[in-house]
Amino acid sequence: MSAFFKVSGLGVHIGDATILRNVTLDFREGEVTALLGHNGSGKSTLLKILARQMTPSSGDVRVLGTSFQRTGAREFARTVGYLPQHPPGTDGLTVRELVALGRYPWRGPLGRYNAEDHRLIDQAIKDTGLTRFQHRSVDTLSGGERQRAWIAMLLAQQTRCLLLDEPISALDVKHQVETLRLVHRLAEQRELTVVVVLHDVDLAARFCDRLVALKSGALVADGSPRNIMDSGILESIYGVPMGVLERAPGQWVSYVH
Amino acid sequence: MYAESARLPSARPTIPATLPIAAIILWLGALAASAMPWLNQLEPAALVAAFWTFDPDQYSSVLAHYSWAPRVSIAVLIGCGLGLAGAVTQQILGNPLASPTTLGVEAGGQFGVTVATLFAPGLLAFSPDLAALAGGLLAIGLVIALTWRLGFSPVTVILAGLVITFFLGAMNMAFLLLKGEWLGNLFIWGAGSLVQNNWGPFMDLWPRVLVLAMLMLALIRPLQLMQLGQASASSLGARVALIRMLALLLVVVMSTTVVSRVGVVAFIGLAAPVLARLLGARTLGSRLLWSTLLGGGLLLLADTLAHWASTWGDGSLVPTGTTTALIGGPVILLALQGFRNTHHMPGQESGPASFLPQRRSPVLIGGAVVTLLLATIVISMGWSPGLEGWNWTAVSQWHEAWVWRGPRLLAATLAGVALGLAGTLIQRMTGNPMGSPEMLGISGGAALVMVVIVLSGLEVGRAGQLGAATLGAAAALGLLILLARKHRFAGNQLLLGGLALYVFMDAGLRLVMASGGTVASQLLNWMYGSTWLISEPEAFGLMAFVLLICGLLCLVVRPLTLLPLGDTAASSLGLPVARARLLLLLVAAVLTAAATVVIGPLSFAGLIAPHLARVLGQQTVGRQMIVAGLVGGLLLAVADYLSRIVVFPAQLPAGLLAALVGGVYFLWGLSRHGRA
Repeated sequence: MSAFFKVSGLGVHIGDATILRNVTLDFREGEVTALLGHNGSGKSTLLKILARQMTPSSGDVRVLGTSFQRTGAREFARTVGYLPQHPPGTDGLTVRELVALGRYPWRGPLGRYNAEDHRLIDQAIKDTGLTRFQHRSVDTLSGGERQRAWIAMLLAQQTRCLLLDEPISALDVKHQVETLRLVHRLAEQRELTVVVVLHDVDLAARFCDRLVALKSGALVADGSPRNIMDSGILESIYGVPMGVLERAPGQWVSYVH
Repeated sequence: MYAESARLPSARPTIPATLPIAAIILWLGALAASAMPWLNQLEPAALVAAFWTFDPDQYSSVLAHYSWAPRVSIAVLIGCGLGLAGAVTQQILGNPLASPTTLGVEAGGQFGVTVATLFAPGLLAFSPDLAALAGGLLAIGLVIALTWRLGFSPVTVILAGLVITFFLGAMNMAFLLLKGEWLGNLFIWGAGSLVQNNWGPFMDLWPRVLVLAMLMLALIRPLQLMQLGQASASSLGARVALIRMLALLLVVVMSTTVVSRVGVVAFIGLAAPVLARLLGARTLGSRLLWSTLLGGGLLLLADTLAHWASTWGDGSLVPTGTTTALIGGPVILLALQGFRNTHHMPGQESGPASFLPQRRSPVLIGGAVVTLLLATIVISMGWSPGLEGWNWTAVSQWHEAWVWRGPRLLAATLAGVALGLAGTLIQRMTGNPMGSPEMLGISGGAALVMVVIVLSGLEVGRAGQLGAATLGAAAALGLLILLARKHRFAGNQLLLGGLALYVFMDAGLRLVMASGGTVASQLLNWMYGSTWLISEPEAFGLMAFVLLICGLLCLVVRPLTLLPLGDTAASSLGLPVARARLLLLLVAAVLTAAATVVIGPLSFAGLIAPHLARVLGQQTVGRQMIVAGLVGGLLLAVADYLSRIVVFPAQLPAGLLAALVGGVYFLWGLSRHGRA
């Protein structure tokens, strides 16, 4: 698999504080990668840099082999979709109207929406199971439904990559699993590259192909769930003594001593 | 797979029927009211025909064709243009308070024309648009330059726009007070008069408005993305800063084009979008459409009212700007009832940009400010220009100079202290950097009563003024409490209510200024804080009062720290939120009323002092309050001294100088720190 993002020597400094230091890493195409780490480890910052929401102080990022800064804003938005950690209130937009905004990168300020666009919007709403809600105002939905509405917008954007910043942090277990299962399924169906910031290492191991961990702005672990789900490595990531049980093949349970 | 939930609307939501009905009623009502005086002279058909033809043998027909019809047309045209511009502005900034008026564009246009009238009258004869456009661009240019680094974050843009509005307004006033004889006409223009005597201006204006409107509509889809907040909009490929700048530029050109023809027609651009939204226009497209339509109807109605008022008021001119303000006030009050969620405005997810300069020792900073204050007092008492140049009054002779210099200095300083304290209270309480006594309309309420007194021609002494202003401030406060009770005294609702009061005050002021005469300049002197009117007992009374309140303030430091954490957090920590807010509001109002009587409603001290205290590194409530009080006192003490000496032997109002000095400081600070 070729690299979708190629991150080399990335560093971010804000004032005296170092947020990321010398991170070098590839994100391979068609792979679901979880970014792990404790609070303040720099994972959200890394995601924001991948989404071009921040410019790094040093180092370089390449998307599909081309340099990062040279791509136009809409061209970039056709390749990479980003869901911020706290999506803002949407001021009365209905679900369908929100999802339709995802077609902006393709149609621009003046282009007409054609049948294909409407099909993609319908498809995105259907894929996220929101058909019954499509004419409801987003603000009146529950947390899980709202999260799905935003993911639907990203799907309508038809990008080859999704960057999700803690998409399940505000959800209950049922909705967490449903959202991650959705992301996993979509990634498989559409061969999407997904980078997702997660706090729950068990869910990450269950639904992601690869786990990457940061600590104090530096890369500390990178590998398949089987490699990472190891008491020594988890302890080095989170700084607390931890143990791991493998209940069934591909299903791990971590616990704190 | 997903949870089912009941009660789902299956059809697309449509626009509620109230919206078109309200628009139709507004238009029909305005048209009927406008046509009424003509109907006993002309047939309805002939009156309609007046829009394109006239009967040369019939005088009333000629009059209708050249006076009434163009006036109606231009009112509708301008109203539509401003309504659209206002809706676009609110979308760009994601803020129901945003409008060309709040961005300083109209004040800028007025400033441009004032300067041109004084220094380059030839330019006005050539093209008045140029001067107004230059002024408007200057104002918005300042706003953009100041907020550039923040990517035009909504709160900062509004803040900068307001400061610039106040600042340019103060400059205008300075010119008026110094060179009033040249500028009389300007203030009729400034108040917005739509009187027409041919079709020229309308023919001139409509293509421009149309082109600008088309350009704005072309931006509709990028503007829609702004609703998703900066991060999501830019990840969808929109260049947020560029779009905001383009749209702002269009708004400026639209507003100044309109303003240069007919003067400041404030608040249509604020009221029309607010009304459209309240009546249920939900999507951006429908908001733009209905704001445009409602704007046209509103201005036509306002203009008709102005016309009627002029006819009834023995021919004295009532400018349309006055009546738009009278309509704007209630609409904003309506908005207060309707917007529940203003603290969750889109695009504002991160709240006001956090601004944390290095903390510094309060003793050091406080000491430095106190030293400066003492130095100012000594210089102000001792060193002044006399008949034979500057001379120094020895300390032993101060008791002779006291009666001339002492009371006013004392009163100015105390007013500054009071405003600094009140400003800190209000900013902490509302968690909003725009919060200040000026913005809350408490000073506006006091001023409104003064305007009414002047208009009614009653002769009241100094004591009467004092009592009346206190009454006005208390009434404004009472109204605010009544209105805000529903929202448990939450920040943005209070600011909106204050804005409505300010609008009323503004309407009265415009009316007085358009009528001209000695009354106007008397009122202006008071509005801009003429400290020379203060007597010794008044100054000492103020001192006792401020000291008393300072003692009381020691009790509220802790609640003030808790309130900005939000209602839920504060009440779960055991603070009776509504009662605490009420008490703090009362203290702030009383402080403001006391200061307003001395320094007028428009000084910057209440807005500036708390900021300056933060810039000086005082983050906690207690320290900020102390330093803000001292800084406010220093600011007004310096202003009082300067007002005595800059145009000696004449005097300038100290409040005006404070506004100028404070405005310059504030703009500098905003640009330097980038965040305030």
